[in-house]
Amino acid sequence: MTSRELFALAAVGLPALVAATIALVPRRFVVAVAVAVAVPVSVPSIALSAWILHAPAKPSMSRWLVVDAPGGLLLAVIAVVGLASAFASRAYLAGVPAPRREKTYFATLYAFWAILLAVPLVGNLAGAWLLVEATTAASALLVGFSGRPRALEAGWKYLILTSLGLGVALLGIVLLAAGTPGGGLGALSWHALGSYSAGADRALVAYLLLLAGLAAKIGWAPVHNWLPDAHSEAPPPVSALLSAALLPAVLLIAWRSEHALAPVVGARTAQTVLISFGLVSLAVAVPFLWRALPWKRLLAYSSLEHMGVIALGIGFATPLALAGVAVHIAAHAVAKALGFYAATPLIGHEPRAAEHAVTGVARTAPVLGAAMGISLGALSGLPPSPLFVSEVLIVAGGFEAGRAWAAAAAVLLLALGFLGLAHNLLETTAGAARDDRADAGGLRGLAVLTAVSVLLLLGLVLAAVWLPGTDLVAGLL
Amino acid sequence: MSGALAWTLVGLGLAVIVVRRRSIAVALVTGQALVLVGVALNDATTRNDVLAAGALALRAVTLAALFFVLVARTRELRPVRARVSPLMRAGAAVALALALTWLVPKIGLSSRDAERSVLTLVAFGVASVALRRATIFQVLGIVLVENALALAALELPGGASLAIELGVALDLMLVALVAAAFHERIFAEFGAGDTAALRTLRD
Repeated sequence: MTSRELFALAAVGLPALVAATIALVPRRFVVAVAVAVAVPVSVPSIALSAWILHAPAKPSMSRWLVVDAPGGLLLAVIAVVGLASAFASRAYLAGVPAPRREKTYFATLYAFWAILLAVPLVGNLAGAWLLVEATTAASALLVGFSGRPRALEAGWKYLILTSLGLGVALLGIVLLAAGTPGGGLGALSWHALGSYSAGADRALVAYLLLLAGLAAKIGWAPVHNWLPDAHSEAPPPVSALLSAALLPAVLLIAWRSEHALAPVVGARTAQTVLISFGLVSLAVAVPFLWRALPWKRLLAYSSLEHMGVIALGIGFATPLALAGVAVHIAAHAVAKALGFYAATPLIGHEPRAAEHAVTGVARTAPVLGAAMGISLGALSGLPPSPLFVSEVLIVAGGFEAGRAWAAAAAVLLLALGFLGLAHNLLETTAGAARDDRADAGGLRGLAVLTAVSVLLLLGLVLAAVWLPGTDLVAGLL
Repeated sequence: MSGALAWTLVGLGLAVIVVRRRSIAVALVTGQALVLVGVALNDATTRNDVLAAGALALRAVTLAALFFVLVARTRELRPVRARVSPLMRAGAAVALALALTWLVPKIGLSSRDAERSVLTLVAFGVASVALRRATIFQVLGIVLVENALALAALELPGGASLAIELGVALDLMLVALVAAAFHERIFAEFGAGDTAALRTLRD
């Protein structure tokens, strides 16, 4: 076993071990232990990610394991968001009325985290499908964790719609296996998919089924119906993992599939499918970004927008666009996770925020308002947000790729989305404030997360300027 | 695969769309899975093929046990009525199946009958999820789709992969277990496993 394989095993095995053994910890220590072990659990993933991104031109690939630049990027994102979610869970559980469920919560959260960490590392389309399906089971339980009727509704929709979507994706995978020499599992490794030999038309049908199925899990329009419900009803640390880690992790599978099948179905055709999903997702998201929605639902529709932007970048597939994609995935994760973590004290501050839009939070809780403002400002693409720079890179990449119409449509939709979110940013932070709000608790932890997020976002602005033309971008191609 | 066998699988699938009682639908889906086990054993040439058939059988029996227990634990005072009549449901499901088989070109399975059966069962699964209100029928729709995919895997020119069969069976059982947990919670909360009660989240 190589050292990279050992690190990969540790990255996935440690959170799985915690999930399996957390039940043995005495109940009164569960939260403290689960939060404390999150740091050592995330170390192998972050170390492996740093290793990969330090030498992105040397990917390694086997039937089961792939260690490359896109995987390294996602691994870092999932590790950091998982770590932050474990920390943020303490504040969430402190406010949960039903006691004695900490063990269930953390066992499921760590299982979900372990499966997520395995997704970018798996070297096989069938293995990736199995892992993505397994994330559905673990995360659906977390979405319905509160047991409230709305949470049950969201969890049920999520479970049924994504399982059905993944069934369609599996049909595409079976078709690919049928046309690839050798058949079976070996035929579905990422490097073997390019040897599909049953004709471009059949490959295109399989690719469309695969992407249509994965779209239901990524939350691309028009099969995104579960997304706003699940994101808004899940516990906030879980919403952060769903939006910042799960969606891009599944998107990576779509990206790898496009990359592997482009020689068979034609690069232009394969990329056009992604661009179409991207533009439709942006177009569907924009009207909702203009509305006064409950905080977490607004963030959910922003996820729809950003998954669309990432699809566009992957579809444009130029070095500029892919540099934008890398920054966009990381910056979206930081900003979105911060927004969801702010939801826990927000609901303590104003309970009706779970179901209604809130205004003027900065007037009554400045720290909370700052966290929400920084999150929404970054997500809207307000300069100097790294998401502004990444969107510029992606659009420039679109023009560079000769996709002027798609890039122009993206500019228009992004501008409209920005205006909607900017309006919401002003209203949420500086609008009229209600005078019946409670004191916001748990703000010390949020202040630390906000400070760390600001540093990460500023670092990503610098990265966005430095990234184009580097080996890392070459490793993404 | 013979035409009669393909028609049997399709007939069992269509019956799931039409029947009213949950227990009958569970029996139909289980019967369909057991027919697939028979096909798998009949076609088996290696030890791995037999093991893959075993995985399929284990999945069929486990899911049947789970669903029958679930039906027994959550007795409905009145059956959850779908908004669409049985005849309309069957018509919609057949129309979707015809559209799918017309739209999707040859996909490379060992016979055209098998290809049509796979696409038809996928269509029936989607129709069951879309047209039935009862939670158990929605989960059975997903199992129908998975049965279709198991058939497709069996009819691949190179045969099914043991690792994939085992993985898919495990994943499906996991999803069914989570769905069962949700069904019980929904039943406890609303007094029926009826998705009509789950329509409050809208923008």
